[in-house]
Amino acid sequence: MLAYTVRRVIATIPVMLIVALFVFSLLYIAPGDPAAIIAGDQATPDDVERIRASLGLDRPFLIRFTEWLFRVMQGDLGVSIFTNLPVSHMIKQRLEPTYSLMLLTLIIALTFAIPMGVLAAWKQGTWIDRLVMVFAVLGFSVPVFVVGYVLAYTFALQLDWFPVQGYTPIGTSFTGWLSNLMLPAVALGGAFIALIARITRATMLEVLSQDYVRTAKAKGVGQGAILFVHALKNAAVPIITIIGIGFAGLIGGAVVTESVFAIPGVGRLVVDAILRRDYPVIQGVVLMFSFTYVIVNLIVDLLYTVFDPRIRY
Amino acid sequence: MPPLLDVQNLQTHFGTIDGVVRAVEGVSFHINAGETVGVVGESGCGKSVTAMSILRLIQTPPGKILFQGRDLLELSEPEMQAIRGKDISMIFQEPMTSLNPVLTVGRQIGETVVLHEGLSAREAEQRAVEMLTLVGIPAPGRRVREYPHQLSGGMRQRVMIAMALACSPQLLVADEPTTALDVTIQAQILELMRDLKTRVGAAIMLITHDLGVVAEMAQRVIVMYAGRKVEEGTVEEIFLNPLHPYTRGLMGAMPKLGSSLHETGRTKLTEIQGQVPSLRKPIIGCAFASRCPGVTDVCRKIAPAIEQKAPAHWVACHYAERAMAAA
Repeated sequence: MLAYTVRRVIATIPVMLIVALFVFSLLYIAPGDPAAIIAGDQATPDDVERIRASLGLDRPFLIRFTEWLFRVMQGDLGVSIFTNLPVSHMIKQRLEPTYSLMLLTLIIALTFAIPMGVLAAWKQGTWIDRLVMVFAVLGFSVPVFVVGYVLAYTFALQLDWFPVQGYTPIGTSFTGWLSNLMLPAVALGGAFIALIARITRATMLEVLSQDYVRTAKAKGVGQGAILFVHALKNAAVPIITIIGIGFAGLIGGAVVTESVFAIPGVGRLVVDAILRRDYPVIQGVVLMFSFTYVIVNLIVDLLYTVFDPRIRY
Repeated sequence: MPPLLDVQNLQTHFGTIDGVVRAVEGVSFHINAGETVGVVGESGCGKSVTAMSILRLIQTPPGKILFQGRDLLELSEPEMQAIRGKDISMIFQEPMTSLNPVLTVGRQIGETVVLHEGLSAREAEQRAVEMLTLVGIPAPGRRVREYPHQLSGGMRQRVMIAMALACSPQLLVADEPTTALDVTIQAQILELMRDLKTRVGAAIMLITHDLGVVAEMAQRVIVMYAGRKVEEGTVEEIFLNPLHPYTRGLMGAMPKLGSSLHETGRTKLTEIQGQVPSLRKPIIGCAFASRCPGVTDVCRKIAPAIEQKAPAHWVACHYAERAMAAA
C-alpha cells in the first residue's frame, strides 16, 4: 500500500511537468503580443522592444522555461503585469472562495447523486427511475449560468432565502458562508449530480444482477443493506472514477459560477486576467487548477484500493 | 408429525418479452425434518426455480409453501427476511461468484449471526472463525480477514457452507453445490455436508443433475422434468426400479466404471434424444412425450397424473405398470 502510494505520487511529477510546459507555452500559442498590449496604444516600437526585453520575451524558449519552472517550484509564480503584485499572493487571497464552492458542490452532489442513482437502479423501469433520468438529462443540458440566474431570481430575489451574490469567509461566519454559497453550489452541482447519478445507476444495475447480491438476499439481509453495503461498495470504483474525471467540469463551471454570483474567487481572477492578457496570472491560475485536478485524481487512485481489495499495484 | 417443508401445487411463471415461461408447473413435495431429499433433472427443468421460490428470491408464485406450518408465500417481506439465512438457508452453484468480492469472508459469515442472533461485530467474527474451523479451513483466524479472491473454489464453497450453517438452519437448500468444483473437491464438500448435517440436524434439499451425488447423500429422490415432478421415491426404489422413462434415461446417461459410448449391453452410455420442450407454450399431454422411446397417442393427448405405484414410489406415466412388470 505504501509502495503503491509512493509510486502514484511520483507518477504525478511527469504529468505536472507536461502541464507546466503547456501552461508556459500559452504565451507563445496565444494570439497577440503581450509586450505590445502592456505598452499600450501610444507606445513606440522602441517602448515595446524595451518591455519585451524586461519580460525576457526575447530570450530562447527553453532557457526561459527552465528559469520559470525553477521559480514556480519555489512558489514564485511571477508578478502580475497589471497590478504588479506577486501572482501567488493574488491566487492565495482568492483560493478560499473557490475551494469552498467546489467542496460544497462536491458534498451536495455526492449526498444527492449517489442515493438517486441507487434508487433509480433499484426501482428500474418505474416512474422513480424515469424521474431520476429526466433530471439527469436536464442537469446535463441546462448550462450553469442559466441554472444560476434562475436560482438567484427564485430563491434570492423572489423568496429572499439566500443572498443574491457575494461571499462571506468561513472564518467570519459559517452560516453566512453557507447561505452565500448554497445557490452557487446547487447551480454548479446540477451537471455533476447528473453525471454521478447516471454512472451510479448504470453500475448498480450491473452489480445488482450479480450472484452475490442474491446470496446476500438469501442470508436475510435487508434491502437497504443490500443496496448500500453489498452492492454500492462493488459499484464504488466506476463512481469515484467519474467523480475524479468530472472534477474538470467542476473547475470550468466554477469560473462561470463565480461570475454569475460575483464570488471573488480564482475563477473571477482568471477571467479578468484573460481579458487583460495578464499572462503570469493566467499561467498561475491554470497551473493551480491543473495541480488541484491531479491531486483529486491521485486521491481517486488511492481510494480504489480502499473500496476494492482486489486492486493491488 | 407434519413435514418440515410442504410444497403444494407450486406454479412459478415468469412474464418475459417472448411470453410467459412456465418454469414450475404444479409441483408438490415435502421434506421431513433432518431428511436429505435429492431433486434431479436436466438443466432448465425447474429445479433451481423451485428452490428460489421456497426462499422467495423470485416473485411470489401461486401455490402453498408450508414451512413449519406457516405458508411462506403469505409472509411479509420482513417476516421472510427473518427466515432467510436463519431457518432456511441456501448454498449456490457458483462459489466463484456467489461471495461478495469486496467484503471479507468473516464479515460475510458474521453478517448472518449479526442479523439473526443480534451478536456484536466482535462476537460475529468469533463465530465466523468457529464456522471456518468447522468447515475445515486451515488457519481460520487469518482466513477470516481475507477476501474471496484470496481463496480457491473449494475453499469458497466451504465458506458458503459456513455462511449457510452459521445460524443452524432447519432446512438447507443446496443448489448444485458441487457442480462447479473439481471432482476431488466435490467428494470433500459432499463429505463435509453430510458430516455437518448430522451435527446441525438440518434437512437438506439437494438439487443436482448428478445421480451419483443423490445416491450417496439422499434418502428420497424427486425427479423433475419440464417444470413437473415426474417421479418420486426412496433412493432404493428409484435406483433399483426406475419407472418413468425419463428417470431410466437419466440412469442410462450416468457413467459407470468401464462404460463407454461404443460398447453394447449394460455398460453402454446412452443419451436421451432431443431437448427439454419450450416452457413458453402450454404442453399438451405428457411433457416427456416428444423424447420418450415408448410414446403412444395417449401420451400426446393426456397428461399423466402422478400416482402411487409402490409403498414409497410415485410416478407420472401412463405405462408405469408395464415398466413394473418388466422389472
